[in-house]
Amino acid sequence: MLHKADYSAPFFVAAALILFFIGGLLTTVVPPIVDKSWARPFDNSDPAKGVTGKLQPYTEQQLKGRAVYVREGCWYCHTQQTRTLLADTKRSGWRGVDAPISTPDEFVYDSPHLFGTKRTGPDLSRVGGKYDEQWHRAHFRNPRDLVPGSIMPPYPWIAGNEEEFQALVAYLQTLGRAKNWRPDNDYER
Amino acid sequence: MQSESTISAGEIPVSEAARYNESLHEDTTAKLFLVSSITYFFIVGIVALMIAAKFVWPELLGTVQYLTYGRLRPLHVNGMLFGWLLAADMGLMYYVVPRLCGVKLWSEKLGVATAALWNFIILGAVVSTIMGWNQGWEYAELPMFLDVLVVIAWVMFGANIFMTVANRKYTQMYVTIWYCLGTILWTAFVYLTGNFAALFATGVNQANLNWMYVHNAVGLIFTPVGLAIAYYFIPKVSNSPLHSHKLSMIGFWSLAFVYVWTGAHHMIHGPISQWLQTIAIVFSVMLLVPVWAVVYNFFATMRGQWDQMRDNVPLKFLMSGVVFYLLTCFQGPMHSLRSVNAIVSKTDWIPGHAHMAVLGAFSFFAIAGCYYVVPRIFRRKLYSDSLANWSFWLFLIGGVGFFVTLWLGGFWQGWQWNNPAIPFIDTVIALQPVWIVRFFSGVLMFGGIATFAYNILATMVGSGTESTKMAAATA
Repeated sequence: MLHKADYSAPFFVAAALILFFIGGLLTTVVPPIVDKSWARPFDNSDPAKGVTGKLQPYTEQQLKGRAVYVREGCWYCHTQQTRTLLADTKRSGWRGVDAPISTPDEFVYDSPHLFGTKRTGPDLSRVGGKYDEQWHRAHFRNPRDLVPGSIMPPYPWIAGNEEEFQALVAYLQTLGRAKNWRPDNDYER
Repeated sequence: MQSESTISAGEIPVSEAARYNESLHEDTTAKLFLVSSITYFFIVGIVALMIAAKFVWPELLGTVQYLTYGRLRPLHVNGMLFGWLLAADMGLMYYVVPRLCGVKLWSEKLGVATAALWNFIILGAVVSTIMGWNQGWEYAELPMFLDVLVVIAWVMFGANIFMTVANRKYTQMYVTIWYCLGTILWTAFVYLTGNFAALFATGVNQANLNWMYVHNAVGLIFTPVGLAIAYYFIPKVSNSPLHSHKLSMIGFWSLAFVYVWTGAHHMIHGPISQWLQTIAIVFSVMLLVPVWAVVYNFFATMRGQWDQMRDNVPLKFLMSGVVFYLLTCFQGPMHSLRSVNAIVSKTDWIPGHAHMAVLGAFSFFAIAGCYYVVPRIFRRKLYSDSLANWSFWLFLIGGVGFFVTLWLGGFWQGWQWNNPAIPFIDTVIALQPVWIVRFFSGVLMFGGIATFAYNILATMVGSGTESTKMAAATA
């Protein structure tokens, strides 16, 4: 049947595009229509239905911090997804409490999305509330001062730029906090 | 299938190209694309070494904002993908397609303008990645004005190739032309999805569009154009007719249908609908069909011709590329299985896999094409055959060292991650020896790039050899 495509360029083009668009449309346009949770912000006040909480839109300062995170390419080494793996929920956990897995409704306000593909450093999907501002300042100045063996680059130009630093920390503290799974202001030392 | 029966007009490049006068072809566009892509290969190779070194010596250049890992990695990825590989592939298409059609390139002027615009885009990409003007999407980091220029350049490239094909003298289109036309069509839509449609989505929806683009940037851009090159040069360089037309058809049309479904396999176990993950897994495994059809066809073409591997450098690159293609496309479907994915996903295994595809398979095809084409279009002998052989062994040993080290290291890393009793930082420290070996493998690979680039550029300027007029048909 497709032998005709050897000789006829218009037939070839039509066949190549039709075959491509079957999968193309079914995997890009259709899924968000079928799965509504991709676009509905997380909001649950009923403990019977699982972990409670509400996803808030980013503030202007948090967005500024997010822009720094994007500009510096933090997302090349840090993923933002607690996967459906036991080890992920434990690694993202806090004082023996397993972190809830990441769900689509937690990321509705994210653009660009920052799920990431590579974990050269630890996952950050539940890092909000884990370290205080002082820790982050020392860590950005030189990560190896706090974490010997770390290969993260130092970012003195962020630690020394009060506006950018505050914004970035404000953004980091939001990560994973839509789900009410841990108390506020209980930082690791 | 009898190999003789596959020789027909317009189908097999071996006998056809000799029939008419090579001077029909001007090849200015091909020359411009090849010389600039090889230059970027060398420059971005230095960047590659820098980022590999940063894993071992994290303080290296660490206080210069513009040279941190987060700036240089997108420069490395975009520079290698679009500055070197895609530009070299386009240059080779400007050479191959007119010859398979038996006519001149439709417009050499348009081609030269495309080459100029492409170089402007790459220089813009260098500046914007270093400055941190990053859109935050993998493979789609470049700012919007460059994205628009890429679309324009692609339309210019596509128009030139399509018009050349429309004016062809041979009615039957050889496999290489299918893959080239497929690349042009699919790339257009894949690129628009990843760089423009993604703007209208957020969160998981955006990620899904992004992965559709990222995956198909490899699957529907570099794979088909790489196979276009392999389908032309393997029969050409070995002077053997292609084994089977039917297998070519199975390989091409199954690729056209299967590849685009697999984007969501980048989010397996992640926050994306389970049923979409399952669809992506099913189609990822089906990818074995187009891959094995193509690879069997190439191996069968070489039946009885393997002795040529002894001293035919382009053939060495091509057939090692085929082996790497087979391996990388066996890994891919296996990674998508949930159980395997739980170990290797997000680890250093993945760059090992990605480099085998983009360097081991598709760059090897492009390098072979350059070694074959450059002496012919510049009408000079290759500057040094032994240097070419050196470049092959540097690439091969460096490449295998790089891939294997990262697989072993990544697999080990994945096992450690799955034991939450091991603190994360210990899994970083454990990988130091892996990153040291990776760096030195990278040095060998860079040696390959340097010898390749020097050999080709020296051939172009004709240094060292008397510029013997070389008739392409004598090969």
